[in-house]
Amino acid sequence: MTTRNVGQPFVRRDGRAKVTGEARYSYEVAVPDAVYGVLVTSGIAKGRIVEIDTSAAEREAGVLAVISHKNALRLPGEPHLEGPDRVVQALQDDRIRYSNQPIAVAVADTFERAVHAAMLVRVNAEVAAHTVRVEDELHNAFPHKIMAGGKLQEPDESHGDVAAGLVAGAARVEEAYETPFETHNPLEPHATVASWSGDRLTVYDASQWVFAVKKKLAKGFGIPPENVRVVTKFVGGAFGCKGSAWSHVVIAALAAKQVARPVKLALSRHQMFGPVGGRPRTRQKVAVAAQRDGKLTAIRHETVSPTSRFDVFVEASALQARHLYASPNIESRHRIVRLDIGTPTFMRAPGESSGSFALESAMDELAHRLEMDPLALRLASYAEKDPADGKPFSSKSLRACYQEGARRFGWEKRPRTPRSQTRSGQFVGMGMATAMYPANFAPAQALARMLPDGSAQVESGTIDLGTGAYTVFAQIAADELGLPFEKVRFDLGDSDMPEAPIAAGSMTAASVGSAVLVASRALRDRLIRTAIVDSASPLHGLAPIEIRAEDGRLVATSGKSDSYVELIRRAGGKPIEERGKTAPGDEREKFSMHGFGAHFAEVLVDPDLGTVHVSRMVGVFATGRILNARTARSQFLGGMVWGIGMALHEHSVFDEKLGRIMTRDLSDYHVAVNADVGSIEPLFLEEEDAHVDPAGVKGAGELGLCGAAAAIANAVFNATGKRIRELPITPDKLL
Amino acid sequence: MIPSSFDYHAPATLAEAVALLGKYPEDAKVLSGGQSLLPLLKLRLGQAGHLIDIGKIPGLEYIKEEGGMLRIGGRTRESALERSEIVQKRYPILVDTAKVIADPIVRNLATVGGNLAHGDPGNDHPATMLALGAQVVAMGKSGERVIPIDKFFLGLFRTALQPDEILTEIRIPAPVEGSGGAYVKLERKVGDYATAASAAYVVIGTQGFVERAGIGLTNLGPTPIKATAAEKYLIGKKPETAALAEAARIAAQATEPSADRRGAVEYKREMARVLTGRALKKAVERAGGK
Repeated sequence: MTTRNVGQPFVRRDGRAKVTGEARYSYEVAVPDAVYGVLVTSGIAKGRIVEIDTSAAEREAGVLAVISHKNALRLPGEPHLEGPDRVVQALQDDRIRYSNQPIAVAVADTFERAVHAAMLVRVNAEVAAHTVRVEDELHNAFPHKIMAGGKLQEPDESHGDVAAGLVAGAARVEEAYETPFETHNPLEPHATVASWSGDRLTVYDASQWVFAVKKKLAKGFGIPPENVRVVTKFVGGAFGCKGSAWSHVVIAALAAKQVARPVKLALSRHQMFGPVGGRPRTRQKVAVAAQRDGKLTAIRHETVSPTSRFDVFVEASALQARHLYASPNIESRHRIVRLDIGTPTFMRAPGESSGSFALESAMDELAHRLEMDPLALRLASYAEKDPADGKPFSSKSLRACYQEGARRFGWEKRPRTPRSQTRSGQFVGMGMATAMYPANFAPAQALARMLPDGSAQVESGTIDLGTGAYTVFAQIAADELGLPFEKVRFDLGDSDMPEAPIAAGSMTAASVGSAVLVASRALRDRLIRTAIVDSASPLHGLAPIEIRAEDGRLVATSGKSDSYVELIRRAGGKPIEERGKTAPGDEREKFSMHGFGAHFAEVLVDPDLGTVHVSRMVGVFATGRILNARTARSQFLGGMVWGIGMALHEHSVFDEKLGRIMTRDLSDYHVAVNADVGSIEPLFLEEEDAHVDPAGVKGAGELGLCGAAAAIANAVFNATGKRIRELPITPDKLL
Repeated sequence: MIPSSFDYHAPATLAEAVALLGKYPEDAKVLSGGQSLLPLLKLRLGQAGHLIDIGKIPGLEYIKEEGGMLRIGGRTRESALERSEIVQKRYPILVDTAKVIADPIVRNLATVGGNLAHGDPGNDHPATMLALGAQVVAMGKSGERVIPIDKFFLGLFRTALQPDEILTEIRIPAPVEGSGGAYVKLERKVGDYATAASAAYVVIGTQGFVERAGIGLTNLGPTPIKATAAEKYLIGKKPETAALAEAARIAAQATEPSADRRGAVEYKREMARVLTGRALKKAVERAGGK
């Protein structure tokens, strides 16, 4: 098929609805007779609720119920699934396992009354000693398999003799690096609207995966999955925290059942810190050594991160060390410790972002020790095949990314020594780092339907996280069906639709895109078959291979054609539909599949104040086919801005005595905003990848963040001569 | 969160507003731009039984030069100050100050009078007004009185305003030949309260000696700080590098910062020194002293 739509920078279809307020986010869906639930959360990190006094709250006007473990409905099933699901606290017992844990919900006829009632709940708890410091549990660190890229991976991997390799190098770096606890903080908080009709449940949820919410609720409430419908039409950012149905989702459904009214429940900003995940802190050690010519003789990457007492999440920071650089000796090791915290979870580029800070900082340190250009060091150990298993890459244009990035950025102007270049009284520094993220692909289904008016309706139960799913999948379908973009409507976000995987892991474009492609292709082929057996069709009797789809018509090489409108009219006037299904085959056994990129950053550091301003960033990425130049660019742009936040700002600071996060709002939990950001230039080099998935897509959501913080930290070193190994790089660390 | 309940009053005249304040002396707060008060109430860090909204009272938003003074109406929005031609041309220190207060959306509502009357040592205008030697006009039931700014800040969130008084005007001496001022702020990120900030104002005589100096410091103690010793030190000196550095050192000694998420005591004090040095240098440049 000719591609006329794929790749085009179409404006996001939901953009206008979002900026005008017309888009209804989950909490805003109008549900008749809905009442409002507001959570009461624990002030301590560990203990037992001895007494919970809800009488004052219950006396208030408009309050329907205050539900705690004392009076909550007992769930017939354990609301827990296999895979990336999280263990929840749904008011089933008196245990407090972490600070800010939901312990009750006040339900009232207005939001304000529910807030007021929640504030009147008095809790008397027996406090137990808690531990929220990774250092205190290091002696109990243990390995655990890692759920990443849709499969379980080993915590430890090693080949060659790393100890010998480290000694063999002409230069060696062995350092410890740290990244802090971070919290996702999408603009839209978590929110759930639950409505029962008998034993059927409808839920509007701020979710990255309606099918998991559906299965979890069905399991918890002991009802068949087909009785649960979950809808998510718009999401105001998620970044991983909405990939799991957390406690409040189950509590909303429970409360709705108990008060026999639909319940709307949203978390306050404050409540986003603890009960709904976050990126765990990492303590990493990296050892790298290289010969004089920059060829790596060994890489060792070790990491420890915390999880909760009751569930497991591993921040897979050392995974990329297995695949990124050529070295005869590579070792990677993951350990976790248990703390009295809410379970951490996937946060944009989980593992790759925190891990790349350590690994790419160490590479920069090694280059400095070798007196080598950091880019030359990376080229000297360029992996032509995956060092983990010798598999060829399905596509890899990293060298071109390095070259194009260096050229665009002006890498040759990099100061050779720290503190050697100033601009308006500030030190200028330049740094670079490599970006790598796996090209994930998961089973997905879609449906494509040709309507009697000659327009198409395509759907899959995936989610548009703000990434552009509504737009790009319509582009794919339009090309396959030979329709203009405007004639294809793509709908999503409903568990009644064909099943899609979690919208995470940068795999939605690849997975759902491929399913949409297969479904649309199947529909087109069916329409062609319908035409050639239809004696009234101008295409009657032709071979399918002679026919292509173009401008709303089926056109034969001879020039004869039949329109979809006519075709369907003659076939009885009913819509014609086909389903499509894709799943990874054995191509991942044969190839190593990753998106790659190169970051270049320029910083200005004030010598007396220690402030860092990222004045310029250039990122060049190669990640297969680009479906929409505008939305892809936005993904990279977002990733790079996130890198600035990660490098300079983001930090969920724990009060270790109280066991809770102190920075619980956006005035204390800092993320980069427009005014913090200088010039950012994301570019992509298109690749043809015939192996990765039918859509040829390797994913864009996370790659832009991988390595970004390291590039900035490396630029800070280049500016100041100070190596900051603990994020975020706040001014005090530079004085 | 939502605030605890309160009664809302929207008087049409200043007299009416003052009378309302007199009626609820313990329990009323003046609502101007609301950018400090409403978050405070919403987060339940404070509560008030009565909010007296002065937003409907005419004649409180103006910026004009009159009688050798710049007169700023108490309810003048920060964004108006920032965009005012006369301010941009003749009072660049006020533009320095206004443009680093929170973010543009807040500045569209926040008022200059509110920024002072709130008595928050983290607010930005107090230091600048201290440096400039401003006066504030307060209207109460017994009429109008003028309060010199260095007698205005009494403690944390405490000012010289009586419970029934409303801040109606700020008066700043018009610039004279050889004068210049600047405000320099260090923030963790754009829009934050100051980690430390310094306002400096100098008048340099025709002989090249400092005739007047004003230094104000933000968020470096329980109240906005007027660095009197440093000001005195500069008088009669040539505004050269060494003198400015010494003044900055003396100013930093006047600070009483507390340790918090923005940094340790020593760090803040050191930043006060660096920032005062920079503010003085810029002020001297603007005064035409180099």
